[in-house]
Amino acid sequence: MTPGSSPEEGGPRDPKAGRFDRPVTALRATTGAVAAAALAALFLGDGPGDRLAWLAIGLLVAAPLVRVGWLAIRWSRRGDRRFSLAACGVLVIVAAGVLLA
Amino acid sequence: MNAAPLLIAALATAAALLGSLGGIGGATLLVPVLVAMGAEPTAAAPIGLATVAAGSLAASSRQLAEGTVHHRLGVTVELAAAAGAVTGALLSLDVSERLIAWVLAAAAAIGGVAALARRGVRNPPLGILHAEPAGEWPGTLGGQYRNGEEIVPYQATHLERGLPAALLAGVVAGLSGVGGGFLKTPAMSELMNVPVKVAAATTTFTLGITAAAGLLVYAVQGRIEPLELAGAIAGAVMGGWLGARLQQSLAPTAVRRATGVLLLIVAVVVAVRA
Repeated sequence: MTPGSSPEEGGPRDPKAGRFDRPVTALRATTGAVAAAALAALFLGDGPGDRLAWLAIGLLVAAPLVRVGWLAIRWSRRGDRRFSLAACGVLVIVAAGVLLA
Repeated sequence: MNAAPLLIAALATAAALLGSLGGIGGATLLVPVLVAMGAEPTAAAPIGLATVAAGSLAASSRQLAEGTVHHRLGVTVELAAAAGAVTGALLSLDVSERLIAWVLAAAAAIGGVAALARRGVRNPPLGILHAEPAGEWPGTLGGQYRNGEEIVPYQATHLERGLPAALLAGVVAGLSGVGGGFLKTPAMSELMNVPVKVAAATTTFTLGITAAAGLLVYAVQGRIEPLELAGAIAGAVMGGWLGARLQQSLAPTAVRRATGVLLLIVAVVVAVRA
């Protein structure tokens, strides 16, 4: 067996397998929560429906921005400063848009 | 129960279903259809961006697990696209509805032509990389992705050509509410030499950020109708889910061409009404 082979199958194994397991699970859970909140909002209508709709919208907006923030921290910890700064730059641009609006 | 959110949910489901089968963003179809049905472009824009964000989120876990998203490329491109989206959203209240309608018609027409156009394979697989995992190379705009049993290396080039296209896509998204993927994906694949599969997945990742930037500006401007957006979000997630399951049983080329023709018809209707 060569280094990097799977003992069960004898074939090549992805040495980085599972590195995104937690973010993948988090993204799946967020998608489910957004869909459930949006559907419930539709059927509840004004009042409680409005609050659930805002929850769905909030999660929908927060998810990609949290992901960019996570990438900025991850790249910074690994010494990839150029791209960490780029990720921070994206967040600064979004924040500037909110302030200008 | 208010009828408008349910109608929007039904339209968003159909647009996301056709979009996922035809390889185009659902908002490229949904927003022009809403405008053609009499909605004001400034009211239709947040609905479109909500479906863009929902589609991006729904696809994100699968694409992340597959290793097809190039995050460094996406974040770099998004520097321009987010700036464009914020600018477009800020300007959208100051420009005429007629101009936005023309932008939408042009977006639908470009999306239609893109759906009808053919694509070739540019980056060949490399046998020596068969045991390598798919992913991106740290510190660079290069990487490799899995295409069937083969590993295909690539290196994004000509950032100076891709960034203006991303900026334009962002402005269109912020101004009109369509995602702009019909500009970003071809820009990455044709101008920056990125394989289509990686370009499409990376575009999906970036569209979520672009849409979030635009939606935040719209929210501060008081242009969000929460129940209408809830309908759009629910429809986009359901339509994308249905599309992913129907993809196995339908001929993608036929659906893509039908969607392309439909987009061209919508473009003409919106242009005539403008």
